[in-house]
Amino acid sequence: MVIDFHAQGIDINSLKEPAIHIFNQIQPHGILIVLAEPDLTILQISSNAIATFGIAAEQMLQRPLSEFIDPFQLERIKSGLNTTEDLDLINPVKLWVRKTGDEYSVFDGVFHRNSEGFLILELEPALAQENIPFLSFYHLARASINRLEETSNLREFCQIIVQEVRNVTGFDRVMLYKFDNDGHGSVLAEDKLDSMESYLGLHFPESDIPRPARKLFASNWIRLIPDSHCEPITLIPAINPISKEPTELTNSILRSAAPCHFEYLHNMGVGASLTISLIKEQKLWGLIACHHQTPMYVSYELRKACEFLGRMVFSEIASREETEDFTYRRQLAYVQSTLVEYMSQEENFVDGLIKHKPNLLDLANAQGAAICFGNNCTTIGKTPVAEDLNFLVQWLKNNVQEEVFYTDSLAQVYPDAEKFKHVASGLLAIPISKRNYVLWFRPEVIQTVNWGGDPHNAYELNRENGLRLCPRKSFQLWQETVSLTSLPWKQVEIKAALELRKAIVNIVLRQADELAQLAADLERSNAELKKFAYVASHDLQEPLNQVANYVQLLEMRYQAQLDADAKEFINFAVEGVSLMQTLIDDVLAYSKVEMQGVEFELTEVDTALDRALGNLRQRIAESGAKISRDPLPTVMADSTQLMQLFQNLIGNAIKFRSDKPLEIHISAQRQEEDEWLFSVRDNGIGIEPQFSDRIFVIFQRLHPRDEYPGTGMGLAICKKIVECHRGRIWVESQLGAGATFYFTLPVGGRDRERRSGRKTQNDLFGRGQ
Amino acid sequence: MSGEADAKHKTIFLVEDNRADVRLIEEALKNSSVPHQVMSVRDGVNAIAFLRQEGEYVDAPRPDLILLDLNLPKKDGREVLAEIKADPQLKSIPVVVLTTSRNDEDIAHSYALHVNCYITKSRNLSQLFQIVKGIEEFWLSTVTLPSQ
Repeated sequence: MVIDFHAQGIDINSLKEPAIHIFNQIQPHGILIVLAEPDLTILQISSNAIATFGIAAEQMLQRPLSEFIDPFQLERIKSGLNTTEDLDLINPVKLWVRKTGDEYSVFDGVFHRNSEGFLILELEPALAQENIPFLSFYHLARASINRLEETSNLREFCQIIVQEVRNVTGFDRVMLYKFDNDGHGSVLAEDKLDSMESYLGLHFPESDIPRPARKLFASNWIRLIPDSHCEPITLIPAINPISKEPTELTNSILRSAAPCHFEYLHNMGVGASLTISLIKEQKLWGLIACHHQTPMYVSYELRKACEFLGRMVFSEIASREETEDFTYRRQLAYVQSTLVEYMSQEENFVDGLIKHKPNLLDLANAQGAAICFGNNCTTIGKTPVAEDLNFLVQWLKNNVQEEVFYTDSLAQVYPDAEKFKHVASGLLAIPISKRNYVLWFRPEVIQTVNWGGDPHNAYELNRENGLRLCPRKSFQLWQETVSLTSLPWKQVEIKAALELRKAIVNIVLRQADELAQLAADLERSNAELKKFAYVASHDLQEPLNQVANYVQLLEMRYQAQLDADAKEFINFAVEGVSLMQTLIDDVLAYSKVEMQGVEFELTEVDTALDRALGNLRQRIAESGAKISRDPLPTVMADSTQLMQLFQNLIGNAIKFRSDKPLEIHISAQRQEEDEWLFSVRDNGIGIEPQFSDRIFVIFQRLHPRDEYPGTGMGLAICKKIVECHRGRIWVESQLGAGATFYFTLPVGGRDRERRSGRKTQNDLFGRGQ
Repeated sequence: MSGEADAKHKTIFLVEDNRADVRLIEEALKNSSVPHQVMSVRDGVNAIAFLRQEGEYVDAPRPDLILLDLNLPKKDGREVLAEIKADPQLKSIPVVVLTTSRNDEDIAHSYALHVNCYITKSRNLSQLFQIVKGIEEFWLSTVTLPSQ
């Protein structure tokens, strides 16, 4: 039966969450008395009092309790009430109540003070044969613990608990029920009569034990409903005469259940139930639920024994749960420490996470992982594509503030994830800093969940007595196929991810320090290099000038006195100095190619060539060279360096010309691999192919200086310029057949960032940009 | 050298630490057509003292032309240039930077400090002689400068 609640204008949530705790009714197996201290005046009393006291409830009101219960018994109780805060210490109190004549009934009296400060006494019939002295209590606990110690896994452990609880209570069915994050529960262990249908492994929807009920279970650790078919009893009067409100009965042991709950029990065929709360870290972790097909009473002491058992064994469950994955945790710890070591060994920590074995995937048993820094994602295993990753990281940035985010159904919170469900239905993410994340992925795993009844029809709407939700009637196995969901992330995996996060943050911080140090060193050495260049251009030249000038002054002043030899010697000295000066200039030019903090910009090659030709115009005129060119492109380059490149190449063509009229041709061709191929072709003396590499080496010359002057630096400078632009340079030539110098330049200057060092340094995570 | 120079004689003030260069410039000026005297100091501190007639330079004449090297001991030529051009008494004296440096920054910096001209020393003697002669003739006879 499917009901469209919305269509009927009904707020399902308000119906789902009745205010259970203010139900001012109790179960009929005991008597509840609301008392005013210190005289223990009766303010309210349950209407069934007459059966025990032989006096109508109305007639007991506003009279002290001592009128109805032997004052001698009450004196002892009063002193206990005055001295202890925790009334559990005096509970239960055996109370004898005289009905008529010598007819006495024995009760277990249980006191508590409610949140409004009223003292509440509840009387339950004491069943002598079930009186459990302390020693039995101890034996019960010890026997259970002994068995528990022998078990190794959590499931077996839970199984023993339900068996022990069933042994001591005699219920037809005892289940251990665990809540998941959504409030749904599943049955971890069950012990029952063979004839009953098993609920083991079944899931129960959240609405079976709605939030208000779970809240009650968290404060009231043990709940008994001895007869689910009983008629609840009202208090007389219904409203507390002092507070003018219904008395708050959260911690009452007799408190009646919501009609809905009774119905639920009826539908399940339950005549009596006992529920023991299992609390972990102040939260309701689960329940031990005991069901009996017929009514059944469990004494207060036995209930307390069960509660004690529940508390004690549960502290063991909690620690078992933590050690359950001990081996796995140790393995993850090993992976984690190995990763930290790899990260510190690699220049880039990202390599440390993905290049070796074990890698990032092993840390969280993931099928894919990504390290996203800015827009740059490095992936391993099966992951969404780069574009999807970028959107996902953007979403995380806007929606996740925690140190760790994990979900086994990403599509539920991030609908776009549906398209990559096959790789990333599960996501575990740790932010390293604002824009930077490490992500783990798990693929969709289609799962089948067995529900104890259809969770979508967990309640029905009853219009008979006003609008009211009724529990479902069917608990038949209902299978649900769960899609868009991965295997869940284990707590140990999440912890391991958090540990890794710490390690990465440390490494990133350290690397930032190192980079800052490196930048400072570079700046210093750059400054020193500049200084050196200046020294070379100035201080080294000064003494040379001095030598040259004075030798020439000698020649000028004493021309008449000098013979031919002296004049020749002076010439050699002057030539030597002049060569030294040229060498210094060229070395300086060579060092400048790398040093210059050049910015690449869109450069018209034509313009650079024109400037080179302008500088060479005198030599071009003298040699009568004919220079032709093809259309030349625009490239990303340093225009001054490009000009120098052409100037050196064309200068060489002029220098090494043959007897033929000199022709030089410059051309450019677009290549497939996104680069331009330039050539400078001449018809000069050419070069023997065996020397075609040597000529690009610094100071290497093929001719004596007196035939062809030069320092052997020109082509070395050319090579350096081209390489600075990430191109290549080579020559094709035969001796006597001219030479063609080729060089390439990338289209659009892809290494722009590489060249502007500052940018690379600031981008900590720039991987080969 | 005396400050009592002939009024017709122009004073060329040379700031240069290298004695060989001082001598070379003096040699170059020997062929000059303009009557002049050359006075020189070898560091920046003395250059400023001379120009402000302080200490031992109390009688120093006001020069008609300053030839300034950039790399000097104690106080370098850039600082000397900056101080001259910042001093209302001195800034009208033409300053020619005569240096070996072809460094772009030096050139730009000197002009930023209002140098009157920047000349690189030639490596060739006869060219150097011509340059010095040119400087002297231009600044001491061609141009009209404000009277003191």
